[in-house]
Amino acid sequence: MDPKLTEVSQFFDRFKAAFVRKDFDTCTKLLSELKVKLTEFRSLPPLFEDTPNAVHELTLARDIYEHAVVLSVKDEDQDAFERDFFQLKPYYTDARNRLPPSPQEYPILGLNLLRLLVQNRIAEFHTELELLSSIALENPCIKHAVELEQSFMEGAYNRVLSARQTVPHETYVYFMDLLAKTVRDEIAGCSEKAYDYLSISDARQMLLFTSDQELLKYSEEEHPEWEIKNGFVYFQKAKETTPCKEIPSLQLINQTLSYARELERIV
Amino acid sequence: MATMVSSAGGLLAMLNETHPLLKLHALSNLNNLVDNFWPEISTSVPVIESLYEDEEFDQHQRQLAALLVSKVFYYLGELNDSLSYALGAASLFDVSEDSDYVHTLLAKAIDEYANFKSKAAESNDDTTNVDPRLEAIVERMLNKCILDGKYQQAMGIAIECRRLDKLEEAITKSDNVHGTLSYCINVSHSFVNLREYRREVLRLLVKVYQKLPSPDYLSICQCLMFLDEPEGVASILEKLLRSENKDDALLAFQIAFDLVENEHQAFLLNVRDRLSTPNTQPAEPEQPKSGEADSGQNESAAPDDAQMTDGSSASTVSTREADPSEVLYSERLMKIKGILSGETSIQLTLQFLYSHNKSDLLILKTIKQSVEMRNSVCHSATIYANAIMHAGTTVDTFLRENLDWLSRATNWAKFSATAGLGVIHRGHLQQGRSLMAPYLPQGGAGGGGSPYSEGGALYALGLIHANHGEGIKQFLRDSLRSTNVEVIQHGACLGLGLAALGTADEDIYDDIKSVLYTDSAVAGEAAGISMGLLMVGTASEKASEMLTYAHETQHEKIIRGLALGIALTVYGREEEADTLIEQMTRDQDPILRYGGMYALALAYSGTANNKAIRQLLHFAVSDVSDDVRRTAVLALGFVLYSEPEQTPRIVSLLSESYNPHVRYGAALAVGISCAGTGLSEAISLLEPLTSDVVDFVRQGALIAMAMVMVQISEASDSRVGTFRRQLEKIILDKHEDTMSKMGAILASGILDAGGRNVTIRLLSKTKHDKITAVVGLAVFSQFWYWYPLIYFISLSFSPTAFIGLNYDLKVPKFEFLSHARPSLFEYPKPTMVPTTTSAVKLPTAVLSTSAKAKARAKKEAEQKANAEKSSGAESSSTGASTGKGKSSTEKDGDTMQVDGAPEKKSEPEPSFEILTNPARVVPAQEKCIKFLEEGRYVPVKLAPSGFVLLRDLRPTEPEVLSLTDTPSSTTSTTGGVSAAAGQQGSASAMAVDEEPQPPQPFEFNS
Repeated sequence: MDPKLTEVSQFFDRFKAAFVRKDFDTCTKLLSELKVKLTEFRSLPPLFEDTPNAVHELTLARDIYEHAVVLSVKDEDQDAFERDFFQLKPYYTDARNRLPPSPQEYPILGLNLLRLLVQNRIAEFHTELELLSSIALENPCIKHAVELEQSFMEGAYNRVLSARQTVPHETYVYFMDLLAKTVRDEIAGCSEKAYDYLSISDARQMLLFTSDQELLKYSEEEHPEWEIKNGFVYFQKAKETTPCKEIPSLQLINQTLSYARELERIV
Repeated sequence: MATMVSSAGGLLAMLNETHPLLKLHALSNLNNLVDNFWPEISTSVPVIESLYEDEEFDQHQRQLAALLVSKVFYYLGELNDSLSYALGAASLFDVSEDSDYVHTLLAKAIDEYANFKSKAAESNDDTTNVDPRLEAIVERMLNKCILDGKYQQAMGIAIECRRLDKLEEAITKSDNVHGTLSYCINVSHSFVNLREYRREVLRLLVKVYQKLPSPDYLSICQCLMFLDEPEGVASILEKLLRSENKDDALLAFQIAFDLVENEHQAFLLNVRDRLSTPNTQPAEPEQPKSGEADSGQNESAAPDDAQMTDGSSASTVSTREADPSEVLYSERLMKIKGILSGETSIQLTLQFLYSHNKSDLLILKTIKQSVEMRNSVCHSATIYANAIMHAGTTVDTFLRENLDWLSRATNWAKFSATAGLGVIHRGHLQQGRSLMAPYLPQGGAGGGGSPYSEGGALYALGLIHANHGEGIKQFLRDSLRSTNVEVIQHGACLGLGLAALGTADEDIYDDIKSVLYTDSAVAGEAAGISMGLLMVGTASEKASEMLTYAHETQHEKIIRGLALGIALTVYGREEEADTLIEQMTRDQDPILRYGGMYALALAYSGTANNKAIRQLLHFAVSDVSDDVRRTAVLALGFVLYSEPEQTPRIVSLLSESYNPHVRYGAALAVGISCAGTGLSEAISLLEPLTSDVVDFVRQGALIAMAMVMVQISEASDSRVGTFRRQLEKIILDKHEDTMSKMGAILASGILDAGGRNVTIRLLSKTKHDKITAVVGLAVFSQFWYWYPLIYFISLSFSPTAFIGLNYDLKVPKFEFLSHARPSLFEYPKPTMVPTTTSAVKLPTAVLSTSAKAKARAKKEAEQKANAEKSSGAESSSTGASTGKGKSSTEKDGDTMQVDGAPEKKSEPEPSFEILTNPARVVPAQEKCIKFLEEGRYVPVKLAPSGFVLLRDLRPTEPEVLSLTDTPSSTTSTTGGVSAAAGQQGSASAMAVDEEPQPPQPFEFNS
C-alpha cells in the first residue's frame, strides 16, 4: 500500500480514537493536518486523476470529511460545518459513480438542510432539495428536514418545536435547539407587523419565553427599537419604515426636454 | 473516464480554512478552474481579495490570489479592476500565454500605458510616475514582440506608448530595416495625431536612417522636410552634388523634385539659399545683359522675368572656371537650384500640358451657344469653365475666337475674364508679365484701361506665379501702392497673396494692411484673404490683429475676408490652433464662427482628427446660422481628405438633412475629400443630390461630382458618361435654374480641367499635404460669396504625368508599360457634331504614334505634332480648312504607318499599352505601370508618376529627346511684343508654312 495512504490512515485512526474519547481539541488539530495531507492526493477533487489507489483514497477522504462534519456539529461550529460540508459534497455528487454510497450520506445531507433552515436561508434550502433524488427524499433524515421546513413556512411553530423529540439522529439535536431561536425571530418579525403593541405577558407567551426577564433581555439584544413601558411592548418605532421612493419627476422632465432638443437637431 | 467537478464550492470553502497550505491548494486549483467556474467564484471575490491583501502570506500566494481575482474580474467585464489585480500578480501574469484573458488584458494594459504616457507628455510633466508594474508589463510585451520578429507590432506599440527608445530598438533589430522604416513613416503620418510627437518620431527616424550603411536619402529628406530642417536637406544635397558619381547627382535631382512636389515654398527657398556656392566662382553676374533669352523681347518685362533665366546664363559663366570638380559642382548646383525654385518642374509641366492638351472645344461651344446672352451669370460661368478647362495649357483659342462674345463681360465679369487668362497661363513664369501687359495698369501714365481689367490682370499675375512669386512680387507691390482704385487694389491684393503664398513677408503684409485700413469693402475683403495667404501656416501673432479689426469694421465682406484669412494662418498647426479656434467659434458674429469652421478645417486638414470631426459635426447640427452649418459640413471634407473612404460614410446622414445648406456642405465635403478618386460611394452619395429640389444644392453637387470624377474614364465607371450627358442636358435646358446651370457649366470645366491632363490632388505622392492645393480649395469654396475666387481651384490641379528626365534635365525618349487595357484610362472621346463636316477632329492616338515615330526625322515628327495641335486649336478660324484637312489626313496616315495598321475595330483590345515619356498616367493607372527591363534608361526611383530621373545605361549613344524645347524659350527669336506673345510663342515651334497667320493680338473692350 502507498506509504502516504498508510500514513493518512494511521492519522485518521488516531483522530477516530480521539473522537470517541470526545477529545475535540485533539480532533481539530489532527483534522487540520489530515486535510493538508489530503491535498497531496491527486485522485481527489477537483483533479480526479485515475491513480491506482483512487477508490481507496477517495473513500478515505470522504470518511475524513464526514467525520469533520460531525465533529463541527459536536463542536457547535456552524462555519466549520459549512466549510467541511462543501468540501465533502463533491464526494457525494461528482464521485458518486466511483464509490459505494456512504451510510452517512443522508444524515449529513439532512443536517445541512437543517442548518440552512436554522440560518433561515430558505432559498438555498430549496436549491439543495431540488438536487436530491426521489429516493433520497424518502429517507427519514431528509424527510424530517423537509417536514420541519413545511411547518416552519406554515407558521405551525409549535410543531417545529415539538419535532425536537423525534430527531432521527443524535447530531440533529444541536440544530433543533438553534431552530427555536430562528422561530422566535420569525414570530418577533410577524408581531411587529401585526400589532402596534402587546402586553408584556402576551408578548412573553407569543415569543415562547418562560419569564419576563428573558423577554426583556431578548428585546434589548435583538430589537433595541422596541419600547417597553407601562407593561406594554410598543413596536411603533420599528414600523416607521422609509416612505416609498420619490418619483424622479425632475429628472424625467429634464430627460424628456433633452430628447425633444435632440429631435430638433436630427438632420 | 475523467470525472469533472460540478462546482467550485468545495474549493471556495477551503479558502476559509485556517491552514495556509490549504488556502494555497485551493487557490491554485481555483486558478485552473476559473475559466469554467467564474460565476461561482465571483461571489467569493472579497475573500480572495482579502487573501491578496493579507500581509502575512508569502509573496507567491498573494500573487496567485491577485491573478485569480483578475481573471474573475476579466470575466465579469471589469477590465479596470482586472488590470489592477493583474499588475498585482506581477510575474505570474504571463504575457506569452495564448488566451483571451491575456490578450484582452495586454491590450488594456497597453492602452492604459499609452494613455498615461500621452497625458504625461501633454501636461509636460516628466515627474509623473507611471505604475512601474504597468511599465514592466508593456516592456515585457515589447521585448517579446521584438524577439518573435513581430517588428511592426512592436513599433506600433512603441509609438502608441511614446517609447522612442523601444521604437529605435525595434527598427534597428528588424531584418529589413528599410522596409520597417518606411512602414514607420507611414504609421507616423496616419496614426500619430499630435504634431509635436510626430516630429519627435520623425527626428528619431532620421537619426536611424543616418546610421544605416546605405542611407535612403529620398526618405531622409522627406522626413527632414516635414521637420522643417532645411540645413539637413541642404547638406545631403550638397554631399550628393559634390560626389564624383553621376548617379548621386541624379539622386539629388530626384530628391529636389520630390521636395518640390510638396509645394512648401518657404522651405524650398531656405534649402536653396543654404547650398554653398562653388569656391572658385566669382560673384554671380548680377545682370548678364538680361540673358540672351529675354533681351530682344520686351524691355519692360526684362528686370523681373530675367532673373529666372539667370540660372542658365550663370552656368555658362561658371564653366569657364578652372577647377573641374568645382565646375561640375557649380553646374549641378545651377540645375538643382532651378529645380528647387520650382522653375524646372513648372516649365516641364507646362510643356507637358501644352503638348498633351486634349480639351474639347466643342463642349465650350455648345455651352456658349446654349447660354442666353443676357444671362451674365452663365456667361461668366462659361468664361470660368474655359479657364479651368485650359488651366496651365496656355491655349486661349476659345477666347480669341469669341472676342465679340467676350466683350459682353462688363465690370466684375470683365475682372474675372481677364483673371481667367492667368489660369490658362498658369506657370508661364517667364512670359507671364508680358502676356498680361496690355491689361496691366500703366504706371502713372493714367492709361485708358478699365480698372476691372487692370485688377483682373493683377490677379491673373498672381495666379500665374502662385507659390512661385519671387520675380513678380515687387511689381505687384508697386501696383498696389500706386493705386487707390478699390477694384485694382482687390486684384493686386489677391495677386500678391498668391505670389507670396506662405512667405510671411513683413513688408508685403504692411502694404496689404494699409489697404485693409482704408475700410473699403471690396479691397478689404481681398486684403483679408491675402493676409491669410501670406501668413499661411505660420500661426503668427498677426491673427489676433486681424481678429481685432474684424470686430471693428462694419463691412461684412471685410469680416468674411479676414475670417478666412485668420483661418489660413493656422493651416496645419493642429493643436496649436485650438485657442484661436475656440475664440472664433464662440464669437457672437456668425461670420467669425464661419471663419472658425475654416480654421478647424485647415488646422486639422488631412489629419482625420477625431476631436476636430466631433466639433465640426456638433456645429453642423447646432449652430443657428445656416452659413456656419454649411461651412462646418464642408470643413469635414478638408479634415478627412487623407482618408477619402471615410467621408461619404460620415456625411451620408447630413446629405439627407432637411436643411439645404447642410446638404450643399455635404456635397462639397465629398467633392473636396474624394477629389479625383472616382470613389464609388462618393458618386452614389452625390447622384441623388444632383437632382435635389433646391437649386444651389444641385449646383454644389454638380461641382462636387465633377471634382470626384475628374480624369475617371467612362470605361472604369459608366456613371461618368451618364454624368456628362446630365451636364449637357442641364446646360441645354432652357427652363433650368441659373444656379444649377452655372454649376453644370463649372462642372464641365472641372471635369475636363487642364486639357484633361490634371487631377485635383491634396496629398503629394509621399502623403504630405500639398499646401497650395489645400489653400486653393479652401479659398475656392468661398465662391459662394464671390465668383472670382473660383479660379483658386487651379491651385489644386496637379498634372497626372510621368515625366522622365535625364542628367541634363531633358526629356529623353523612354518607353514603359501600362499593364491595363488602354480604354480604361484613355481620354474621353471628343464630342461630335453630326451636321458639319469640318468638325473638329482631335487626334486620338498620339501616345501610340510615337512608338515608331522615332524612325522618322525628329524635325518632321515635331512639325507634324504641332500641326496636329494647331488643327485642334485653330479649328474654326477662316482659311484653316485646307491646312487642317491636310494635317488630319496626314495624321491618319501616320497612325496607320506607325502602328503597322494592325488594329481593326473587331479585334480584341490589347491588355497593355506602351507609353512614351512624357506620358499621361492617371492616378488609377499608377499601379499598372511597369518599367521595361532591357531599356536604355533605368529610373532612379520606382515611381509610377511625377518627375523621375532616369539613369542612362548607354551614355555614349546620342540621345533622342521627345519634348521639344519649351514653347516660351524660342519665343525670343520671333519677338512678339504684345499680349499674344505667349500664344504665338508657343506656336512658334510649328512649321509655319502651312499655317494661317496667327491671330492678331487682341484686347477686348466693353
